Amino acid sequence: MTAISLGLDDRGGLLIDDCRINSARLLVVDRKDSLQGARHGGFNSGLHSLAQRLPVSVSRMKDRTQTGWLFVLPSVLILSLIGLVPLLTVVNYSFFEIFILDARFWVGTEWYAEIIGSGRFWASFGRSLLFSTMILCVQIPLGIAIALCIPKRKIWVGITLAVLALPLLVPWNMIPSLWLSLLNPETGLLGRILPYLGWPDNWKLSAQHTWAVIVVMDVWHWTSLVVILCYSALATIPQSYYQAAAIDGAGPWQVFRHIQLPKLHHVLLMAVLLRFMDSFMIYTEAFPINAGGPNGATMFLAVDLGEDIKAFNYGPSAARSVIYFLIVLTVAWMFSKAQGKLDGTEAT
Amino acid sequence: MTRSAKYLLVIKTLALWAFLLFACLPLVQMTLISFVATLPHPGVAVGRPTLNNYAGIWTDPSLRSAFLNSVAYVLINICITVPVAIPAAYAFSRLSFLGDKHLFFAFIAFRITPPVVLTLPVFQLFSALGIVNSVFGIALAHCLFNLPIAIWILQGFISAIPKEMDETAFLDGHSRLHFIWKILLPQIAPGIAVTAFFCFMFSWVEVVFARILTTTNGKPISMAINALFGFQTDIGLVMAVTATSTLPGAVLLFAMRNHLSRGFKVGRL
Repeated sequence: MTAISLGLDDRGGLLIDDCRINSARLLVVDRKDSLQGARHGGFNSGLHSLAQRLPVSVSRMKDRTQTGWLFVLPSVLILSLIGLVPLLTVVNYSFFEIFILDARFWVGTEWYAEIIGSGRFWASFGRSLLFSTMILCVQIPLGIAIALCIPKRKIWVGITLAVLALPLLVPWNMIPSLWLSLLNPETGLLGRILPYLGWPDNWKLSAQHTWAVIVVMDVWHWTSLVVILCYSALATIPQSYYQAAAIDGAGPWQVFRHIQLPKLHHVLLMAVLLRFMDSFMIYTEAFPINAGGPNGATMFLAVDLGEDIKAFNYGPSAARSVIYFLIVLTVAWMFSKAQGKLDGTEAT
Repeated sequence: MTRSAKYLLVIKTLALWAFLLFACLPLVQMTLISFVATLPHPGVAVGRPTLNNYAGIWTDPSLRSAFLNSVAYVLINICITVPVAIPAAYAFSRLSFLGDKHLFFAFIAFRITPPVVLTLPVFQLFSALGIVNSVFGIALAHCLFNLPIAIWILQGFISAIPKEMDETAFLDGHSRLHFIWKILLPQIAPGIAVTAFFCFMFSWVEVVFARILTTTNGKPISMAINALFGFQTDIGLVMAVTATSTLPGAVLLFAMRNHLSRGFKVGRL
């Protein structure tokens, strides 16, 4: 709202085209009699349109000019160098049998057939998918809930966010060490309590317990990112929306459903995308907990690839990399479709 | 305040405290162990409280240089990422050009590509360019995930600035570049701070590129910690180094807390 109101203060009378009249009308609602305006249109339609229509009408006003390419050129060059060129190299390698890099033989799609046809790939794929699903089911609702619990008083917000973000700052290779020492039966804070709650001493022999440790560790590590992103979106909701809701007698659930959740759509889409992909391809943190065990029960997709690379299997590891990148592309494409759908429902 | 609102507030506060406790637990464990002697040192028995572990960081030249390396590559990364991301974010926010949506999609796809997929060719490429074992190499490699995220965050900040501000500036005779430099940059200063913080966060903790790009020299702090693991690991020292490595981030976080708590408009996917 402030975005539009600034512009109107400067040159209020000049605004004539359609979407601006639209925003000017909304502005009046927000400024002068937000409460009545919201009530007049009914709780849903009044606040709903305020919360959802503005970003759309702003984004429609873009200059059509090809000079945009000059502005993105530096980014394109850097990402081509460190992203696209290595990617094409990998695609090239994936069709060869490579003993040393100077001596290689064309093998066509043999590596691909071998990987796709192996039960090991699909087992890892299933495990990664299950892991990501669990991570999303825990982290996204928990992240939203915690973001909603953060107090409104200014001083506490900053300190709370700062403490919450601490897990994000620990080097990734140290995170398994932290959790293993936490679970240490002699010196760990949890390790000394858990046996009384039925936690076995030899938990590394049990697939369920190893999975539990990795999931809890990832929840500890990454939920804060979801919280920070959600909080950042929630904090931009003007106070007048809440006042209007209070006058309408809206309960906490209605406030969440009609005021807070619409503001969270875009940021949640990004949070889900980041958390899905990063957990689907978990590498550094998962392996040291139990070396992929017991019996390969925690061998995820990226761990398989890491083993291939460590063994200097250039061809198969390249083919595996290409398959993984295709998975990444598919997921990104699905999310951009979801974004399109979200825009479609908001515009109407 | 009604009775149910009071209950809700109590539940919210309890839930927040429970989560904060959970978030701090491993860090408390880390701090506790870092002040305990875990291997026999002269003058202190195993299991006794000591400051030896922290003193050990200062006396070990490889740990000291690792800290400097980490700080150096994170700073270089921010210095590359932010200036390159600002014009791109402006373009995605304000301009419409051929293929803009596809390009943004490609950027996001690179962000979610796991580094392990690109390790081998990135190592070969950087060897050919002569930037392995240097902080610059790591800083450049980390642009792969930091640049798209920076563009995404900055795009949100720029979109929150009213378009009328651009138009007024153009009417006043400012060119687009002049407008970005003189008028837009001061407006999105908090956004630049938030972006720099996110770059710091993702770059400081990353391990895969940092490992393969530093075989002999320029090792960052995460690799220096790895090197401490051996036949007899001084876990107290490991925890002391880890605790110290989270300190710069914590300080930065504390300085940034008001920018974060004010909230920021995030861009579209």
